[in-house]
Amino acid sequence: MRRFMIALLGGLLSAGGVSAVAAQDASTPDADALKDGRKVAGMCRTCHGLDGLARIPIAPHIGGEPVDYLIAQLKAFKTGDREHEMMTVVASGLSNDQISKVALWFSHFEVSGTLPADTSEDDAPELCVGCHSANGISTLEDAPNLAGETNIYIETQLKAFRTGKRVHDVMTPIATDLTDAEMQAAADWYSNIAIEISEPPGK
Amino acid sequence: MTKRLLMASIALAMSGTAYAQAPAPDNLEKLSNFQSTGTTEFTVIEQGGDYAEGIKKTLERIKLPDGFKIGLYAIVPDARHIAVGPQGVVTFVGTRKDKVWSVTDRNKDRVADEVKDFAPSLRFSIPNGPCFSSDGFLYIAEQNRVLVFPAAEFFYESPDVAAFNVVKQGDLIPTAEESYNHTARVCKIGPDGKLYISLGQPFNVAPEDKLDLYREWGIGGIIRINTDGTGREVYTYGVRNSVGHDFHPVTGELWWTDNQVDGMGDDIPPGEINHQTAAGQHFGHPWYGGGDVRTNEYAGQEVPYDVVMPAVETVAHAADLGMSFYTGNMFPTKYKNAIFSAQHGSWNRTTPVGARVMVTFIDAEGNATIEPFAEGWIDENDEYLGRPVDVAQLRDGSILVSDDLAGALYRIWYEGN
Repeated sequence: MRRFMIALLGGLLSAGGVSAVAAQDASTPDADALKDGRKVAGMCRTCHGLDGLARIPIAPHIGGEPVDYLIAQLKAFKTGDREHEMMTVVASGLSNDQISKVALWFSHFEVSGTLPADTSEDDAPELCVGCHSANGISTLEDAPNLAGETNIYIETQLKAFRTGKRVHDVMTPIATDLTDAEMQAAADWYSNIAIEISEPPGK
Repeated sequence: MTKRLLMASIALAMSGTAYAQAPAPDNLEKLSNFQSTGTTEFTVIEQGGDYAEGIKKTLERIKLPDGFKIGLYAIVPDARHIAVGPQGVVTFVGTRKDKVWSVTDRNKDRVADEVKDFAPSLRFSIPNGPCFSSDGFLYIAEQNRVLVFPAAEFFYESPDVAAFNVVKQGDLIPTAEESYNHTARVCKIGPDGKLYISLGQPFNVAPEDKLDLYREWGIGGIIRINTDGTGREVYTYGVRNSVGHDFHPVTGELWWTDNQVDGMGDDIPPGEINHQTAAGQHFGHPWYGGGDVRTNEYAGQEVPYDVVMPAVETVAHAADLGMSFYTGNMFPTKYKNAIFSAQHGSWNRTTPVGARVMVTFIDAEGNATIEPFAEGWIDENDEYLGRPVDVAQLRDGSILVSDDLAGALYRIWYEGN
């Protein structure tokens, strides 16, 4: 519950103006760790792209994702708390150090989400915006970006929370009460947002 | 307000959900009743331009046997499996997203002129697998539904096209078993006139507690049904994730590709092309991970079925997907009744393999040998420039290859020397 309050608070704090660019870390990441992370990312690139812009629809975009979210998911795949036919295989072979570094690599990118021209932030799914913003760029370390994900990917995750295949303090109660149509509407909203992933300036 | 819409509104108001909004109108029901949905807009994909030039540059590096040429046929986003209209009017291409594309070569210069979405009023969900009957019925196998579009080749120009359930939403597999991965279904009509549909199982290795359920539904298998949706039976057992099949033009027997277990090493287990000679045969998953390599999860366990070993073992992790027997007259005679198949390319091998079109020759005794036919989509930095998904034959005897990374269809034709 406490985390849910924080989530709501995060939503309130961000409501004043949704930043198009999420700055994941104010400090400059360690260059050696980044280099190591890039090397680990070689095994991710066929599906997620070396820059974290997904190359296949079943994989999410992870460039510019909050580092804590990436670490948490990789560890969940590694321990079996979250299961996926491909990611379970990948994560089971990663050390904690590799997980930290590859998460650092993907999180160091800048990411932005741009709404389609004929839409307004006011139309964004209200249950989601507190943590994921209207443009699908996360406002919390514990929430993923949703901008530009394939709608079926988002729907699949929502259904996984609803059925208990995936568990999260905030998402489980939210998804439990959603209808299929509501899931589709939220998924469509975020999949229609244009995502851009770029190297941070000065690199 | 129609009565139906009113009922839907009432149902929604009573559902007590967190936020209310209008339900999507059931356009399938309207199309089944030959009613208009009011949808008038198509999504049209621009052909040509810089994007096409980039793809053409990649195609310059593709190696083919002497006398063969490859060219860009169409820009088709997320292009997956291909169904060529039996009259040669239009080609349909599935995706792992929510669209099916119609591809038209109006001036018959063997390059498509128009690519637009098919039946835009319908919400598809992973419509990976379109297939045609010889009399022009288009079937589309989705995540958990199969639709039929009678005379699609002639009605596709309109946004509203007659559409009917073959297997209605939620009846292809139990909804609790739905997944996004291993859900690229393919379909073909067999010589018996039945619809054959592959159902991948969603795990790397199917767990023991799912095996009974999967066997009952044909998940991790291939099912066949009558084209009206009746008479469902499991035709093939022991499949991990098959994403390509076709019937031998002479024997009528089913051949199919299978993707094998990951995480056992770079070089095992092999991929497979299988040859099925009777209904109900078992091909080894999950006891076998590919070829005769046993899975770690079922190591040492007695295999409870007689298992058919693959007709062809392919390089490990290359991801053999779509396949078609060649029946055309354009290519040299040695290609007659050979299998053209696509290797999508590995995703977790240290050095990538695949991303090419293969050809498999089958001799009079049924022995099969495979060799590369078109390759060069992996560059010197081990980066994919394209990832072939499916192969289908045009009426002139040339073949189309789909690529879901570049988002394109290529055409390969024979000119001789």
